[in-house]
Amino acid sequence: MSITGAELARAFPVRRRFFAAGDGGTLLRWATLALLLCFWEAGARIAGNTGLIAAPTSVVRALFAQVLSDADVRGALFSAVLEISAAYALAVTGGLLIGLAVGWTRFGRNSMFPIVLLFYAIPQAVLLPLFTLGFGIGPAAKIAFGCSHGIFPVIVNTVAGMRNINPLYVSAARAMGASRRDIIRNVILPHMVGSFFAGLRLAMTMTLLGVILAELYVSTGGIGFYTRQFADNFDPAPLFALVLSLAMIAIAMNTLVRVAERRYTRWKN
Amino acid sequence: MIVERAVQLGFAIVAVGLWYLVTVTGAVSALFLPAPNDVAAALISLVRTDGFWSAVRVTLTTIAAAYALAVIAGVLTGYALTRSRLLTGAFEPLVSGAFAIPITLFFPLFILFFGIGPESKLAYGAVYGFFPIALNTIAGFANADRRLVDAARSMGIGPAGILRHVLFPAAFPVILTGLRIGFFICFASILGGEAISSDSGIGHNIALTAELFEPAQMYAWIVCVVIAALALNGAVSAIDRRFRET
Amino acid sequence: MRISKSGHLIVPAIAVRNVTQTYGAPGDLRRVVALENISFAVERGEFVTLLGPSGCGKSTLLNIIGGLVEPSQGAVLVGDSPVTKPMPEQMAYVFQESTLFPWYTVGENFALLFRYRGVERPEWKSRTADALAAVGMQAFAAYYPRQLSVGMRQRINLARGIAAGTDILLMDEPFAALDEQSRMVLGEDLSALLSRTGKTILFVTHSIAEAVFLSDRIFVMSSRPGRIKSVITVDEPHPRPPAFMLQSRFAELRNACYSLLRDEIRTAMAEASA
Repeated sequence: MSITGAELARAFPVRRRFFAAGDGGTLLRWATLALLLCFWEAGARIAGNTGLIAAPTSVVRALFAQVLSDADVRGALFSAVLEISAAYALAVTGGLLIGLAVGWTRFGRNSMFPIVLLFYAIPQAVLLPLFTLGFGIGPAAKIAFGCSHGIFPVIVNTVAGMRNINPLYVSAARAMGASRRDIIRNVILPHMVGSFFAGLRLAMTMTLLGVILAELYVSTGGIGFYTRQFADNFDPAPLFALVLSLAMIAIAMNTLVRVAERRYTRWKN
Repeated sequence: MIVERAVQLGFAIVAVGLWYLVTVTGAVSALFLPAPNDVAAALISLVRTDGFWSAVRVTLTTIAAAYALAVIAGVLTGYALTRSRLLTGAFEPLVSGAFAIPITLFFPLFILFFGIGPESKLAYGAVYGFFPIALNTIAGFANADRRLVDAARSMGIGPAGILRHVLFPAAFPVILTGLRIGFFICFASILGGEAISSDSGIGHNIALTAELFEPAQMYAWIVCVVIAALALNGAVSAIDRRFRET
Repeated sequence: MRISKSGHLIVPAIAVRNVTQTYGAPGDLRRVVALENISFAVERGEFVTLLGPSGCGKSTLLNIIGGLVEPSQGAVLVGDSPVTKPMPEQMAYVFQESTLFPWYTVGENFALLFRYRGVERPEWKSRTADALAAVGMQAFAAYYPRQLSVGMRQRINLARGIAAGTDILLMDEPFAALDEQSRMVLGEDLSALLSRTGKTILFVTHSIAEAVFLSDRIFVMSSRPGRIKSVITVDEPHPRPPAFMLQSRFAELRNACYSLLRDEIRTAMAEASA
């Protein structure tokens, strides 16, 4: 496909040289990251044993020596993954059901939806102590808190997806004798798929946020226990390593959702 | 419109009524959900204490400082990254990719560096709020119409004038959205941080009252935050609506 | 080179010398030669049109002449000075779509122009009114561009270009976004303006009728890489009445342009869909 000179001129105005920004950009990005990593390593080594910073090499060492090999820490990470999965599943199904209920009628949308948005506006972090008060300090509180974070994007996106449904489709389905369940399955759900999946991605980010917050808050067990321990002992290397592990878990979960989205919306574009 | 408002009002009344019923009958432990009148009483006495206002001051100054940092750093960085196509291509994916990982994960590191005082929450909130502001600034400036820049150049307007008369007005609406999101992120993240690990501030007091098994006080604190959040949200929506009408 | 009656060399208003524009390094798969070895001169007070199929580089050439783009090779001279960046004192640029800044009113847009052209502040209002009156838009000084139709916006755009008060006007398909009737009316106005002010106009269009009606000379361009294929002279004094379009001479000129262009257009179309 050829490009017109005008389009090229507009894309690369007063530069004489033709700079393929895509390729140069990636190179620059990785080069900068590598440079930062080197500075980090050098800086940490020069600073010595301050208890505040750990060189990347010692972080990686701690990752294997203290985090992944320690059964207790590994257990904490594993239960975090379980909690995230459970919270996410609940958030998605719950959000879908509530979203359908609220968004089903225009009346429902206009009266109930603002209430949902109102809840959304409250910084949920302040409810964290409340959750532990009610659910105790076990996994239940963390799952519940994560779910309460992730459920809102699902509701909002579900309702948004239902807003534009052509009522003719619903009437046509009803005329064909479709039950309520059939209508949901064959008319509403396919229509909403796009917006729904966008909500799913956001829901995973929010669920991650909720579960992590709850885990960090509870300092008597789980991840929060170890972060507190490492921080109190000014042992930065395993703390960095633990945070790194959590980050990798977060990336993995997000990637899973993205892969699922791509697979189920393949027909779109 | 009126019917919907009535439904919402009805919902509120029913909610409060249910609350009262549930606590009076003892269906839910008073430790978890104290009666509405207890909470109201606690709220009234709370507002009279000095401790309340100093906590509010700590939290508000932390949020204000964090937000100011995030805005300055975010807008400057966002603008700088749009100065050349190479820069944008190199670093914008970095910024948007980093935002996808909840910065909350790194909270323990902030505590390690800055201790449990308000400084750690300030840094945390500033870093968290930086991302949406920077991202939106990049989007705003990158999508400024090139032809308008050309027109300005052909009129002999120099780079400073172009920034003032073309780039900034074009980018402003998008940047404003970023500023809004950044504010609420600062607000929420700092409160959360205070709840997890702090020695002062509103979030800290909520966690403290929970630990000391003083549920009425805890709810009083939460109610304050909820009122503040709703008020802020309402104010922002009103300003936004007024802005759209012009 | 022209020599005046007294024997002096007359410097052309615009001189384009061996301008070539390529994108991409040698060996790059995406390398494109937009313009190839273009040379011509535009005399003072002339109306010259660059006529060619889409993608032939005529807009690029105008951008180069206007100083918005540096050519890969060659140079452009305005009077005696080489063009390396925009020269707002000598050249005003009218773009294809309205480039009125949408966040300023029409009046404020003109004020911005005047401020950068060094016009005294007290004169801004009257000059704006005059410029708008020339295109019949004097009632809309306080309006925002989005409140006006496309045609109105483009007329004001044109007025702004004229209000810059430069000797040279560069116009990149200024009537492309307008309907046929507006084009005809504004074309007449432009012709009248030329005769009144003696401005040098370099005009880009792909409308043959427009080119023949307005120009003193037409540079017919080939498809990419853009070259000057031929020059057609229209020997008719300005202001040109609408009746000019009905004369047989007009039809002959138009056909001459079309036969030159026909193959180029087909080449350009084939390339666009490749």
